[in-house]
Amino acid sequence: MNSDGWKIIHIPEKPTLPPEHQPTVKVYASVIKPKFANTIVRQLCKIAPMEDFRHVKRVRKKVIPGETQLTVILCLAPENNDHLNDMPSDVQKLVDPYELSPFITEVSKFAAVSKEGWEEQCKIWPTSFHPPTYNIDGIGGFSEEDTQSICKFMRVAIDLAVSGHQPLVNAAVIVDPSVRRIIASETDQLYPSSAPRDMTIPLNETGESIHCQSIDGITNASSDICLNSIREKLNGSLSAVTCLNPWQWSLQPDDDTEKCSEWHPLRHASIVAIESSSARDRYLFPNSSESFGPDHSQLSNAGSPAKKQKTSSHSPDVQNDSREETLGELSMERPYLCTGYDIFLLWEPCTMCAMALVHQRIKRIFYAFPNPTAGGLGSVHRLQGERSLNHHYAVFRVLLPGDAHNALDQSLKHIASES
Amino acid sequence: MSFAPHQAKLALEALEVPVGCVILEDGKVIASGRNRTNETRNATRHAEMEAIDELVGQWRTNRLSPSQVAEKFSKCVLYVTCEPCIMCASALPFLGIKEVYYGCANDKFGGCGSILSLHLGNSPPSGLISTSDEYQRGKGYKCIGGIKAEEAVSLFKCFYEQGNPNAPKPHRPVVQRERA
Repeated sequence: MNSDGWKIIHIPEKPTLPPEHQPTVKVYASVIKPKFANTIVRQLCKIAPMEDFRHVKRVRKKVIPGETQLTVILCLAPENNDHLNDMPSDVQKLVDPYELSPFITEVSKFAAVSKEGWEEQCKIWPTSFHPPTYNIDGIGGFSEEDTQSICKFMRVAIDLAVSGHQPLVNAAVIVDPSVRRIIASETDQLYPSSAPRDMTIPLNETGESIHCQSIDGITNASSDICLNSIREKLNGSLSAVTCLNPWQWSLQPDDDTEKCSEWHPLRHASIVAIESSSARDRYLFPNSSESFGPDHSQLSNAGSPAKKQKTSSHSPDVQNDSREETLGELSMERPYLCTGYDIFLLWEPCTMCAMALVHQRIKRIFYAFPNPTAGGLGSVHRLQGERSLNHHYAVFRVLLPGDAHNALDQSLKHIASES
Repeated sequence: MSFAPHQAKLALEALEVPVGCVILEDGKVIASGRNRTNETRNATRHAEMEAIDELVGQWRTNRLSPSQVAEKFSKCVLYVTCEPCIMCASALPFLGIKEVYYGCANDKFGGCGSILSLHLGNSPPSGLISTSDEYQRGKGYKCIGGIKAEEAVSLFKCFYEQGNPNAPKPHRPVVQRERA
């Protein structure tokens, strides 16, 4: 299976500005003679330090044929006028002795957060760029192997949302990435169409949901069918997607609910998947006093995933072992909630679901489509940026190959523009 | 507002984070719930969710339709000993609950003013609203805090003094006033 055409984008804590639209501030600058450079810079650092602009290089060096031209930032300039005589007197005093010819130019107001942003900044005035260091795998980029695995689980989610559901609903797949094992896979259950599920037997004997065995068997052909199917359905009604329309549950025609004894207005896919994963936990570890795996507890704030992943990479086939054998594996130590787990969703979760995923200690969230009506991960609210919360996950959007996402974005833009 | 603290005490006795909730219709308690996050190993099983599920269960048994249930919720008042978290505060307008009264604030993840102000409404773009009923639900709800706040806080203190035996080992530092 290949990941051609799939793209994974990190959705950061703060909204990022497009690289070409970064705010700037005005500064006074002047070309200087190289022999004065040291003296001038030393003096400027004393009389006009630029504490909030450490990312901006004080001196710009340009090599023009025959000589090196140095330009120095003298100090900040007023934003609302272009007069050159508003320079502080301390700076003004340098003009004559050092033969300065001040002019006004612009520099980037904030440090760049991406390489692309930094390259844009340097077009107006050179800045420095320090790539942020991250403590959750994938924020700095995914390996080819990880990308394939992520695409595979997103296909499972798409498949789940598409198959047997008319109209389209949201789907949630919780995965333990260290062993690439599916922990729970569920869809929206506002009006569960089939017979009520018996929560005591949601799992097979190894504690896996049924989907687990089939994921490695997905071929390119079947996944193409799955992508075509979602493309088709995206053109239809999205009103049954709970996180997009959390207020609309009461509009369900009464005769539909006659047949369904288990309907519930808050059973969004993420909530159902969390419930299913906790049922798995209770089933596999019936003794609640059993201690948690040491690796899992260390992972509680997503700090050190490396150790556990190393161990598990030697045992990729544990999902086929019997319950007793798998329980013997290090990887089967009792999880604390969903610590260290990923969740794959078709749509960005609403704020209720996004907070539920904080509570359950999910480590990474992957979604395919944004949720402009109620999304809690960047569209309406942005929980990954709420520093007061006691747990933080990393959020990624997975762009599907081809036009599936574009089609949806356009349909949602269309809806939004009507308002 | 003495029924909700009673539920919180039941939670404390069961070694759960002590939060309790009751839902009233016409001044009469019609459902109650307490935190069950440890017992269920599901950190979303907050007192509000427990009470809401009890109510939905009752109404389904009585064969009420979704529109009748929505009508019922719009007449309900919810009391909870601690400010609803962001998850619960988001869920309440989905249901269309009329009024919410809470005890102490929740400065770590409160959704009714502390961290987010979801009670003020999370209105969908107006183009998506097709009925006034729907508008009502997107609009938010009346929300008043500080009711018997000291009692709620003292229950939390009891809980954290006795420690949370269900926390993973080694114990992570316990977050004060965590609503789980």
